[in-house]
Amino acid sequence: MDEDLIAKKDVLEQTGISYGQLYRWKRKGLIPEAWFIRKATVTGQETFFPREKILTRIEQIRSLKEEQSLDELVQILAPESAPETVKCDDPTLLAPVGAEGRKLMWKDRGYTFGELVALACGAHALRAGTRPAEAKLLVDLVRAAEEVVRAPTGITALLGEKSIDGEGLAVRLTVGVLGHEPVRLDRESRVKHRVDMEKIAEQVKLALREVA
Amino acid sequence: MEGQNISISGSGRVSGGEYGQVRISGSGKVDGDVTAQEIRVSGSGRFQGEVKAKEITVSGAGKFTSRVEADVLVTSGSCGIDGDAEVKELRSSGAQRIGGSFHGHYVRVSGVLHVARDLEADVFTSSGRFEIGGLLSADRVEVKLVGDSRAREIGGENIDIRASSGLSFGFSLARGFRFGLGIGTLTVGEVEGDRVHLEATTADVVRGKVVHVGPGCRIGRVEYSESLEVHPEAEVGERIKR
Repeated sequence: MDEDLIAKKDVLEQTGISYGQLYRWKRKGLIPEAWFIRKATVTGQETFFPREKILTRIEQIRSLKEEQSLDELVQILAPESAPETVKCDDPTLLAPVGAEGRKLMWKDRGYTFGELVALACGAHALRAGTRPAEAKLLVDLVRAAEEVVRAPTGITALLGEKSIDGEGLAVRLTVGVLGHEPVRLDRESRVKHRVDMEKIAEQVKLALREVA
Repeated sequence: MEGQNISISGSGRVSGGEYGQVRISGSGKVDGDVTAQEIRVSGSGRFQGEVKAKEITVSGAGKFTSRVEADVLVTSGSCGIDGDAEVKELRSSGAQRIGGSFHGHYVRVSGVLHVARDLEADVFTSSGRFEIGGLLSADRVEVKLVGDSRAREIGGENIDIRASSGLSFGFSLARGFRFGLGIGTLTVGEVEGDRVHLEATTADVVRGKVVHVGPGCRIGRVEYSESLEVHPEAEVGERIKR
């Protein structure tokens, strides 16, 4: 993928964090293994990170570190640690779901973390202007894939649209796709909406914390 | 729930389960996953299945074919773990081999430690020999070199690698190398830390804030941000200040 990368030394320089912090956060799982990308350069092997993700994560760790211990932070941020015990009765209180999410809800109460992430995906699509029926596709897709919520790094959920124009017939199909990046559609289809699962899972985690 | 105790002192075989104490002083085999308060192997013990225990002591020969989780693992004999190890405190004065990766808090090596993949701890100290196939990462890495140690990468806050103490009595390490005296060395691909002190180390790249390259080192490239000191008996290819 042509994801924008940043070299490790530039991360350190820009953020002012130390090697010690970086390695400590990696050990704790606050920076996922998958973000460490080793590449050959003119000067030998170097480590790169997805620019936006690493800079956002370091910002989050720093702003939360004031009030939380590192171990608590792991619970909040580490993608592998999906909260097991969440039962949320009013998902619309969470910013990533919000009022838009109401249309997508399928029960009154007792939403688990995975189900909240599914709702948030749908709400994300609704906000971008997709129709409720299409957003529901995303919700169903993510609901059925629990393992994705637990390890969302590098996974994308998307809505694709394909137009078939025949004689006297024009059909537009929308499909939901869930998979590891790089996710590609055929050339006659277009991506209607794309959700970074890692980001959305994280937003739900942070929102849960705010509500609590 | 406190399980029963088992003790094998002749030759025996038990199935997995939940136990208080497991003692093997003869030759014993445990089939299946085990949870125990304490496991002591002074003879030869083989565990086939995952093992979870508060304390594991191996003074004979212990073999674990799967993952091991423990608060404390003390090896003075020979201990092989084929899977990953999640051990808060590891003290090895014998031979410890881990086929997967190690994750824990404190590691003290005075014998031999071999880890096929990464070793992650808060504190790593060694006065023995180690070989780490992946990344050795700790807040504090304190090594007194005995024999030849290796790691693919070392990363952390304070990294302190010292040659064996004979050197401080004024004889030259470089000369020692030339005569092939049995002095410990470290060979590593990459070292990254905030404060790095190296002796008798061969590395491709060293990156750090404050870097001290001591006698007997051969470093391809040093990248530093605050200070760099290089001993006259060290070789450094490139020096880059950021």
